[in-house]
Amino acid sequence: MSGSVKAGGGFSPGRLVTPSGDAPSFTDAADVLKHALPPVPDEEVPGLLLLADGSRFEGLLFGARESAEGELVFTTGMTGFQESLTDPSFAGQVLAFTYPLIGNYGVHLGRSESAGIWPRGVVVRHAMRNPDHRDSVAGIDEFLRAHGVTGIEAIDTRAVTRRVREHGTLLCVIGAASDERSLKQRLAELTPPDLEDLVNEVSLDEPILLNPGFNAPRLAALDCGIKYNILRELCRRFEVLWCPPDIAYEKLVSDWNIDAMFCSNGPGDPAHPGKATAARMTIAEAVSRGMPTMGICLGHQLLGLACGLTTYKMRYGHRGANQPVLDLLSRTVAITSQNHGFAVEDPEKGMLAAHPSGANSGPQENLAGVEAVVRYVNANDLTVEGLDIESRPAFSVQYHPEACPGPHDAAPLFERFSSIVAEHLRGGE
Amino acid sequence: MPRRDDIKSIMILGSGPIRIGQAAEFDFSGSQACTALREDGFKTILVNSNPATIQNDPEMADRVYIEPLLPEVVRSIMEKERPDALLAGMGGQTALNIATDLAHAGVLDELGIELIGSDLEAIDKAEDRDLFKRVCESIDLPVPFALACNSMDEVLKAADEIGSWPLLVRPAFTLGGLGGGTVWNIGQLVEVASLGLRKSRINQVLVEESILGWQEHEYEVMRDASDNCIVVCTMENIDPMGVHTGESVVVAPQQSLSDSDHQHLRDCALRLIRALNICGGCNVQFAYNQATGEVRVIEVNPRVSRSSALASKATGYPIARMAAKIAVGYTLDELPNPITGHGTTAAFEPTLDYCVVKIPRWPFDKFRTADRTLGTSMKSTGEVMAIGRCFEEAFLKAWSSLETGEPHPRPLTRADESDGEGMAERANEQLSDSTLVEWLSIATDKRMGALYEAFRRGWPIERVHEITRMTRWFLYRFQNLARAEASIVEHFGSIGSIDAHSMRQWKQLGFTDAHIADAKAGFPASGWKKIPTAAGESAVMKRRHELKIHPRYRMVDSCAAEFAAKTPYYYSTYEGSVDSGIDTLNNIEERLKERMVVIGSGPIRIGQGIEFDYGCVHAVGAIRQSGRDAIIINNNPETVSTDFDTSDRLYFEPLTLECISEVLLRERAHGILLQFGGQTAINLALPFESRLPYLKEMGLDTKVMGTSIDAVDEASDRQRFEAFANRIGLRMPRGAIGTTADEVRSAAGQIGFPVLIRPSYVLGGRGMEVLADEKQLQAYLDEAYLASDKPLLVDEYLGHAIELDVDAACDGEQVLIGAVMEHLEEAGIHSGDSTCFIPTQTISATMVEAVEKQTEQIGLGLGIVGCFNIQFAIQDDRLYVLEVNPRSSRTLPFVAKATGVPMARIAARATMGDLFVQQSIPQRRTGLVCVKAPVFPFIKLTGLDPAPGPEMKSTGEVMGSDPDADVAYLKARLATEIPVNTAGGAYVTVRSADKENVVPMVRDLIELGFTVHATPGTADVMRRNGLSVKTAYRITDSKQPDALNLMRSGDIQFVINIPTTSGGAVRDGNMMRRLAVEMNIPFVTTLSGARMEVAAIRAAGRGPTVPQRLKVSYLKD
Repeated sequence: MSGSVKAGGGFSPGRLVTPSGDAPSFTDAADVLKHALPPVPDEEVPGLLLLADGSRFEGLLFGARESAEGELVFTTGMTGFQESLTDPSFAGQVLAFTYPLIGNYGVHLGRSESAGIWPRGVVVRHAMRNPDHRDSVAGIDEFLRAHGVTGIEAIDTRAVTRRVREHGTLLCVIGAASDERSLKQRLAELTPPDLEDLVNEVSLDEPILLNPGFNAPRLAALDCGIKYNILRELCRRFEVLWCPPDIAYEKLVSDWNIDAMFCSNGPGDPAHPGKATAARMTIAEAVSRGMPTMGICLGHQLLGLACGLTTYKMRYGHRGANQPVLDLLSRTVAITSQNHGFAVEDPEKGMLAAHPSGANSGPQENLAGVEAVVRYVNANDLTVEGLDIESRPAFSVQYHPEACPGPHDAAPLFERFSSIVAEHLRGGE
Repeated sequence: MPRRDDIKSIMILGSGPIRIGQAAEFDFSGSQACTALREDGFKTILVNSNPATIQNDPEMADRVYIEPLLPEVVRSIMEKERPDALLAGMGGQTALNIATDLAHAGVLDELGIELIGSDLEAIDKAEDRDLFKRVCESIDLPVPFALACNSMDEVLKAADEIGSWPLLVRPAFTLGGLGGGTVWNIGQLVEVASLGLRKSRINQVLVEESILGWQEHEYEVMRDASDNCIVVCTMENIDPMGVHTGESVVVAPQQSLSDSDHQHLRDCALRLIRALNICGGCNVQFAYNQATGEVRVIEVNPRVSRSSALASKATGYPIARMAAKIAVGYTLDELPNPITGHGTTAAFEPTLDYCVVKIPRWPFDKFRTADRTLGTSMKSTGEVMAIGRCFEEAFLKAWSSLETGEPHPRPLTRADESDGEGMAERANEQLSDSTLVEWLSIATDKRMGALYEAFRRGWPIERVHEITRMTRWFLYRFQNLARAEASIVEHFGSIGSIDAHSMRQWKQLGFTDAHIADAKAGFPASGWKKIPTAAGESAVMKRRHELKIHPRYRMVDSCAAEFAAKTPYYYSTYEGSVDSGIDTLNNIEERLKERMVVIGSGPIRIGQGIEFDYGCVHAVGAIRQSGRDAIIINNNPETVSTDFDTSDRLYFEPLTLECISEVLLRERAHGILLQFGGQTAINLALPFESRLPYLKEMGLDTKVMGTSIDAVDEASDRQRFEAFANRIGLRMPRGAIGTTADEVRSAAGQIGFPVLIRPSYVLGGRGMEVLADEKQLQAYLDEAYLASDKPLLVDEYLGHAIELDVDAACDGEQVLIGAVMEHLEEAGIHSGDSTCFIPTQTISATMVEAVEKQTEQIGLGLGIVGCFNIQFAIQDDRLYVLEVNPRSSRTLPFVAKATGVPMARIAARATMGDLFVQQSIPQRRTGLVCVKAPVFPFIKLTGLDPAPGPEMKSTGEVMGSDPDADVAYLKARLATEIPVNTAGGAYVTVRSADKENVVPMVRDLIELGFTVHATPGTADVMRRNGLSVKTAYRITDSKQPDALNLMRSGDIQFVINIPTTSGGAVRDGNMMRRLAVEMNIPFVTTLSGARMEVAAIRAAGRGPTVPQRLKVSYLKD
């Protein structure tokens, strides 16, 4: 990492480096909890959650007990709050948990997905004190406090969820009830975080080789907000070059001599002209040159865009650990972990489950010059969940085979990619 | 894969009678399966022995057989019906065992019947402990170190090899872990293992390392033939390992596991059911060491289970329905999720936005002598479930659903220790700390109350954790409750001064109005009922309403509101914001349909079983048929009434005045039906009436449908009913009421011994006994609790009387008699425990006419509208009315099945004003004798005298039918799953009065080839009558051969034991009966029972019985 330290920038280069399939240890968002925090005053701070549709929810502030603003989304996972809070894909958003008891088992060292907490605010029914687990080092309240993130509890999260479901994702603010007027003002002035270059906020600046010397094909992992467990999964199978999203394809080939390309998950609109588009250019190039390529989540959307497909904002997206994905080839279903608010348009069925705003990328040039075929769909709303690229060693999925949180049903996709790369290398020799 | 077309007809096996370990959950799953298969065009053939289920209503399946669930009987029905397939996974262990028996014996192959769902190999792998272990090892899943043993030698060797105590002994192939247990030394090992070897169907027990104190987690998994797997629900037991999951307080979803812990267990569960090749629903149990993260696989049930019923109700996902669809070829992604409808499939994992708590319902309130210790075998008869937005709320709601007489946890006193109901002085003394420690450390029904109490006393988390080994997360919740309760106790000022913030906080934690009132009054020793109205439950409710605090209703939608659900299945919770979206009832005032609320019957318990759920389901059907909206309130997760599509709207709520009032207010209901939910619903009648004026002020105009509350009271109140009986000239046994010991004594003196004594207003005859003399009366009074509102009823005991039960309905103008049933046992044995016949067998036609006439008089005279049940007794040609129950009865479904007249439905229509002449009522079926026989829980409940008496003990019933009464009885007896032995030795010991009367039975037994052993006195009488019998001694005689040894050595196959007083526990007889129960030797305790048993033995000798198809056509209106 060069220059300024970003809120999430996650790698601690001191603890390198084994030429093995083990990823190095990363700076974990929970590390700050090794040191005691200053105590908080006992009295409760009444808080407010105001939504752009005019609805108002009273609760109590926790965590940093300041204020927060962003796009309100909900996740339905019943476990995995720590993994979710540290998932960079939540950058720009205010995260509401539908499960009412959050923090039961506390925060664990080494279980974060990055070095920071990414949602700008957190909404829960009960932020559980007195966590109980052998690995717990602190509760959710301390965790948010340590990272300066404000949460609000005692909120009727089911009512909040229904708002989001009915209206689509909404802008919102959280703050002290005593500041209602200024909160309203802020809400009125709030602009959608999708307009920001969120990928820039959460990604790496300089490439780093994570497990140099590991006897495996070399893979460039474009970081658009990559989760640690993706890096861990990749390191088991590849010599991984963790690189910024805007690194040029030519540079990867000439300077780093890569064998394969990966594009990660990340926040925001895949069509944003900032670093997301830079990453799109890189993978378009890779695919058109026949480089084995895999994309996850935002990486999948960028691959779709690169192949000339449209992306669009979803009504309220898919966030949780129970999304059924149907493989149209094998006709089998995997239960998957998901976290996305945008999707790739189905070339035949169109923009399913779209946001009322109608936001979409518009028609795109097929930069890769290849055709993408829909291979996986969501068994519920039939939205696109994965693409296979015709006559190229490339595919992408909207969901998270690395899980964390969530089920491991999709884990074989890493194996699938690994064999694609191996086969490609054999064919190429 | 789509629906299979090569199968046309499917046989479905039920689970037989309700008993401990196998309750109503299989009626629920079986009904769902039948519906799911029928809607797909399959012909369904159902076999079950239980007349009380909805599942074997004639309209549920194409062919219904109420026949014993025995392999040979099922085989003969298969030969007759020739089904293409057999679905065994819906009928619990009973059905699974029959299916594997028939498959292993080659019957299925021979008849060309395919076992659908999980196949034989999968079932065997899951059920045989050794095979199961091998499967687990092959996929690297750790199982507890254990050895399968087929003999006592092997058991002892295994104990040596494991080398540490305690050990867990588990028999293979039994119901609900029957016969297993934790043992701490060789003595216990030998005792438990020898019983286990006998109980196991394959004479195998498993001796294994103990994982006592680990957490217990359950995963409900579905898998289809394309290998799609999902986890429907996770559950965590509050009680650590060592307590059977059916006996544990269970929470869904699991609370204390991190995502990585959970995903690890999920992976294990999926790997396991794939390795076992299970197709359909199954349940995987894990032990989890919270301190180390170690995992052990405990077991897999390769079928739907009690846990899957709970999981279905906890998530809204219809497991049995989907399992049935999978069995006929569908894959999960092809099936729509019926909860969310179009746009979602069954191939997803439900996610919850609430917390579910299940508490088992134990029978110890009735069986005070039974051993209350909970372990690896089941003792509970049923369970309740509650839903809340936090654990605390769900727990307190579940508690108030239990109906144990204590609607909220109160501070423990020495009165709780003595089990007395009030025990005035002891109630003022706190339970000692040492007793509290004991209650915490030994799992019993008292443990949850003890947890709460420990935190009331300020004990630290670690101390309670040390004693209980319970997960601290739960302990913090109890601590939170105790602290909140303290804030109520310490609240300064009147109820009228409670502020909105405090009220809302208390309500959000689940405190009921009554609990708040009780706590504010400082939990007076005189009890929560004694708090003056101005400071009581109603006052709290009124204050709450002033503050505009009402519960919100949330939908159980399987998806945490991610999708708009369409199933109207709700629970209440207290939350700040207003209702909106799917959780609301829009335009309720403008809806045209009238809304009728049916009050359910709560948990299955002794005296109130599945029969009342049957009534509720029929009432709901009748309401819907009549074009009204049917709304049901109930809290039992096992039942059909709480299935998501039974009613128009389901409220999963405690059956308390508070919860019902709030539902009525929300629904703006037009009417409420109280007569189908058993005593639970009827007991609400009077309190509800007194609340009606207030509810009216709140804008609610609700009527009690059918029989008026005044008429209910007239029928139930002893004095009022006596006056009524006198007025219309009915004879009743002489009786009196006493509120003091002296009053009771003088009443008994006036009536003359023997007397029948019992507390007033009770269900199932709790505390009812026949007392022969002053001495027994004194003993009874010493234990009884008397108060002005709790009098004792003393009745003339009608010796040698024939008892009759009549189920009837009245529409206000006409009485419709369902059936007159004759009890086999004399009056004095609780009617719920009796064996009864339709039609009557020994009663003259004129007497039956008289019974019918009096029934009519009573129905019209009391002003019954709906159903009612009357018990009559005939002594020396005199007809007595014993009692009238102004509600549906235990026997109503039996009557409906025996006669083909759907009494509950007809009665429910009558309550809504549809006269009988306006309904199409089918013709009564004749030509068959139908026998109902009780099933007892003696094997599960040690410490309970296995002899029927005036206090009800049975958990369920079976039915047999045949043109020949003896054969009908034989079928019923076989259906109880206690064998009818046709040869061997019989042991006869009879009280003096009956010695001569038993001679013909003994003669018959000898003629049938039995060797008869009799106690010296009985033997003398037999010999005097020219019968050759062997002498056997009582244990007290200390001479050989004694009866117990003869039984142990296998010389006795049948016991006739008529004790001196039916209620008195004579130690000798008790031991002998217990041994008979444990060795599964049939025994009878009445003369009439002996007569029928001998007739059954003779009938059994005539060869196999012929299955009778239930031929009833319910006319559709």
